[in-house]
Amino acid sequence: MTTEQEKPEIADESGDKYKYGFVTDIASDTAPKGLSEDIIRLISQKKGEPDWLLERRLEAFRFWQKLKEPTWAKLSYDKIDYQDLYYYSAPKQKVAPKSLDEVDPELLKTYEKLGIPLKEQEVLSGVVAVDAVFDSVSVATTYRAKLAEKGVIFCPISEAVKEYPELVKKYLGSVVPYTDNFFAALNSAVFTDGSFVYIPKGVRCPMELSTYFRINAQNTGQFERTLIVADEGSYVSYLEGCTAPQRDENQLHAAIVEIVVLKDAEVKYSTVQNWYPGDKDGKGGVYNFVTKRAACRGANSKVSWTQVETGSAITWKYPSCILQGDNSVGEFYSVAITNNRQQADTGTKMIHLGRNTSSKIISKGISAGRSNQTYRGLVKVSPNAANARNYSQCDSLLIGPDCGSHTIPYVENRNKTAKLEHEATTSKISEEQLFYCQQRGIGEEEAVSLIVNGFCKEVMQHLPLEFAIEAAKLINISLEGSVG
Amino acid sequence: MGELVQKVELMGSDLPWLEGLREKGAVFFERQGLPTAKTEAWKYTRPRDLLADDFILPPLEEEKENACTCGEHCTCGHHQREGEDFPLSAYVIDFENGALEHIAHNLPRGVTIKPLIEAIYEDDGIRKYLNKSFDMEKNPFAALNTAYLEQGLFITIEKNMRLDKPLALVHHSFSCHENLMFHLRNVIVLEEGVKAEIVEYYNYSGNEKSRYFTNIVNEIYVGRHAELKHYKFQDEAFKAVHIAYNAVKVKGEGRYNGFCLQRGGNLARNETRLSLTEERAEAEINAAYIMNGWAVIDTTTDVEHLAPYTKSTQLVKGVVGGQAKGVFQGKIHIAPMAIKTEGAQLHKALLLTDEAEIDVKPELEIYNDDVKCSHGAASGELDADQLFYMRSRGIGEEEAKQILVDAYLQDVLEKINNQDIKDWLAAKAKLAK
Amino acid sequence: MKTPLLEIEDLCARVADKEIIKGFNLTINEGEVHAIMGPNGAGKSTLSHVLCGKPGYEITAGTVRYKGKNLLAMAPEERAREGIFLIMQYPVEIPGVPVTTFLKHAVNAIRQHRNEPELDTMEFIKLLREEGKKLGINPDMLKRPINVGFSGGEKKRLEALQLAVLKPQFSILDEADSGLDVDAMKVVAEAINAERTEHNAMLVITHYQRLLKDIVPDYVHIYADGHIVASGNKDLAREVEEQGYAQFLKEK
Repeated sequence: MTTEQEKPEIADESGDKYKYGFVTDIASDTAPKGLSEDIIRLISQKKGEPDWLLERRLEAFRFWQKLKEPTWAKLSYDKIDYQDLYYYSAPKQKVAPKSLDEVDPELLKTYEKLGIPLKEQEVLSGVVAVDAVFDSVSVATTYRAKLAEKGVIFCPISEAVKEYPELVKKYLGSVVPYTDNFFAALNSAVFTDGSFVYIPKGVRCPMELSTYFRINAQNTGQFERTLIVADEGSYVSYLEGCTAPQRDENQLHAAIVEIVVLKDAEVKYSTVQNWYPGDKDGKGGVYNFVTKRAACRGANSKVSWTQVETGSAITWKYPSCILQGDNSVGEFYSVAITNNRQQADTGTKMIHLGRNTSSKIISKGISAGRSNQTYRGLVKVSPNAANARNYSQCDSLLIGPDCGSHTIPYVENRNKTAKLEHEATTSKISEEQLFYCQQRGIGEEEAVSLIVNGFCKEVMQHLPLEFAIEAAKLINISLEGSVG
Repeated sequence: MGELVQKVELMGSDLPWLEGLREKGAVFFERQGLPTAKTEAWKYTRPRDLLADDFILPPLEEEKENACTCGEHCTCGHHQREGEDFPLSAYVIDFENGALEHIAHNLPRGVTIKPLIEAIYEDDGIRKYLNKSFDMEKNPFAALNTAYLEQGLFITIEKNMRLDKPLALVHHSFSCHENLMFHLRNVIVLEEGVKAEIVEYYNYSGNEKSRYFTNIVNEIYVGRHAELKHYKFQDEAFKAVHIAYNAVKVKGEGRYNGFCLQRGGNLARNETRLSLTEERAEAEINAAYIMNGWAVIDTTTDVEHLAPYTKSTQLVKGVVGGQAKGVFQGKIHIAPMAIKTEGAQLHKALLLTDEAEIDVKPELEIYNDDVKCSHGAASGELDADQLFYMRSRGIGEEEAKQILVDAYLQDVLEKINNQDIKDWLAAKAKLAK
Repeated sequence: MKTPLLEIEDLCARVADKEIIKGFNLTINEGEVHAIMGPNGAGKSTLSHVLCGKPGYEITAGTVRYKGKNLLAMAPEERAREGIFLIMQYPVEIPGVPVTTFLKHAVNAIRQHRNEPELDTMEFIKLLREEGKKLGINPDMLKRPINVGFSGGEKKRLEALQLAVLKPQFSILDEADSGLDVDAMKVVAEAINAERTEHNAMLVITHYQRLLKDIVPDYVHIYADGHIVASGNKDLAREVEEQGYAQFLKEK
């Protein structure tokens, strides 16, 4: 425990290790608790949505009512009472902000505290544009003018519905239909905000796009929806970060991310998920049920998911790739860390439909404390996917005698020309390795963090640089107190 | 749909505890029903054939003549089997159409083999083991097997016995009757320090299009310091359904070494659930399958490490041709107290045709950090360059394929320690002409 | 007047329930090189592990003072920061952690302990390259994960490099097993000799006298059954080589 004093920046006022655990005191406009067609109509009305979208929401809601919450994941949690949640909460502002100057200073302060500067001149010399989503609405999107010069659209999805209805209508729900699963149906019925990105033909997006999600209000579910469309020959790198205040009760987060990649286009999607994980006894924390999927529709398209998952009490998340276009490529790089009582069931699906498609899965799971973690993956090769290639590697590192680590890959091959390879190992930090570091003067916690960072290296190198530094710090914080 | 649970009079119906057990089996089976697409343990193997036909128990001896439907040009051979005798030197136990026919006379002292129903009547120790090694609530076919508990063997081998030859359980199916079902239960107990080999051989002669259903449950208990080598060759008729469940428990420093070659059946599953219950118990499970036509062949393993210093390895290799589907599900479970354990598993499959399919689910479930575990899976096709090279040197295509397939399966066949059995199975692991 | 660096008195230690070190006594002064020789399986490695604080050993009796302080009360990293360095016969592999990253952490932890300013990345890399060059270490090797896929010679070079940059005051060379790679050892021997000063001291644990031709000791001790059974100068090592250990084992 020698490094405790070396990281003073991580301790917040409550003395806990989760530094994003503060609550912003801001007046909010909240719809009544519970879920019904009326609530959905209310959400839709508050957002001034067109009828077609309301209809879709209602359809999804009716379908959702027929579904049962899935139980196949290795997760155990108290039943969620969907009628005991708020489905809409927005910071109260008289009118929608036209520019950043009109945004409530209290909100700007929140994001500053989180290390997300929304004032454009402060954003890292113009390399990242940010969309900030606070509870149910997007509060600010930076650099829109600069992006517009290139024809790139980056705005809250609620705005896109009104300003780019053809695009939204065409692609929304085309990758993840509301019939997909329980949480996708729920999200399709009640989603409130999120980001919309469109990269026109042949454009390389000049900066990283980033969305920052924040749950603030109590008992509020956050249901954001992200839609990214990369038109032919385009490229974009997109980052997503998440935090929530420290609360004793559980917060629900059920999001959908849809990505459409057309011919010769490439999308890189990176996530650093750091929702509040609950305290060391498992009290509180975010329930994170997310459906993320990318469709590589055109030939030579490519999508790459990179995720660093350190937060949430419960994680249920399988970012997937549908490799439809010939020669399309899907990648999944994941680091998931669970400590204390956290539970994560996460992985990916690679669905090979086109010819010469290839995919790669590198998953690194670290379990500590009394946490449980499952890698669950599917590699599926359809009869037409000649010459499909997959390489999967799932490594688990266990720290301490009370944690659990599970690996469940499904491999389904219906084409003989496919070459598929899966490897998985589990290990612990050996006493020999620890002793070697200590013998060279490195303290135990620092040694653990060195070894864990080494273990995760293959994944971390796929993150954009600023993100990688933040992620490495997060990993160390997440594992504090797991040894010794 | 035919009912698999039927009201029939079985031997031993005068024993209330046995009747009660059968009743329980029937209830558990009916509660679960046949596995469907939603049954995770049977995700890739759906026993549709069992829905399509009505299966019945074999007719009793006195009814056999009358029941024969073959007519005067009878070639079915139901009067006399024509199938291959067990080709190797062994203590042979023959079954014909699901019924025990003969037990070798020259068994060494210390080896006791009794018909199951006789052992049940004698009630000399069998109740300690019977139906004690698995959970009927989670195994529909083992429950069904319990509902028909009658045929099979109770084998006990006394402390420190070393068998000089394998015991061979040879199952000949050759009945002309359609849609027979056989439910067999073997309870095998190796006491402390025993070293033994057991071979199971399922073969078919007679009308090759015959459809029947074999449902076997083996309950195997390996004592402290004991070692069992368990070989199996499944070569059923091509329309048959073969479902086998091996529940194995291994005690301290005991060793179980299983090898299964599957080649026959339209739907075949060999499932092994093995528990290493005490320190330093070890297991090796190896398997090979080679298939054609429309068959589905399933190899499922579930190895539980329940004690410290236990060790298991698995190697399964398959060759899938025709429109067949190979399935491998393998699980390694490591309990919280099972420190210093090692578990390794590897599955590889070769797809020969465009319509062939392979579905794999290797699984690790680990509840403590002081373990070494790994699994791997790979699938691919024959190397075109190698094939071409051989053909360019004058080797015919079929022969060249066979050479490559032989090479592919060689490492798993090498796991067989008994040279005679290795040679026998290597000769059987060939592509169909 | 000689200044004692390491003073071991009546040390007893065991692993699990097995007594390995039984009443061990030795004093090493600044500037001295001591060699401990003994047959395979005599528990020579246990001694080096106990001195460095490797977990898994139970000290049942005795004291060890290092620079006058109670060594046994220190954590392994504190001992390292105080200048104890163990050259391991089989150094462990750490996947994913490049040599440079690892050594930067180690060097700065030790510098901090000595109240010296930490080196920034540029300074550090320069130092590492310079020292590496002297040992014939290719800069590519510095980017590779520690010991992963290293040949025996490369592993030894890396240990020598660490010796050179961490600048310990008391080094322990543990070559307890008989499997000795003579060429690889030359590299280490040279590195060790380069660090010999009147303040530094050294303990060489070995099976063979061969090693002692390259690192010439001031004192040689024969270790058997958990303690020293004979002591002398470097001639004792030659005697062992000619006549074997048997004579010493009989004496007890």
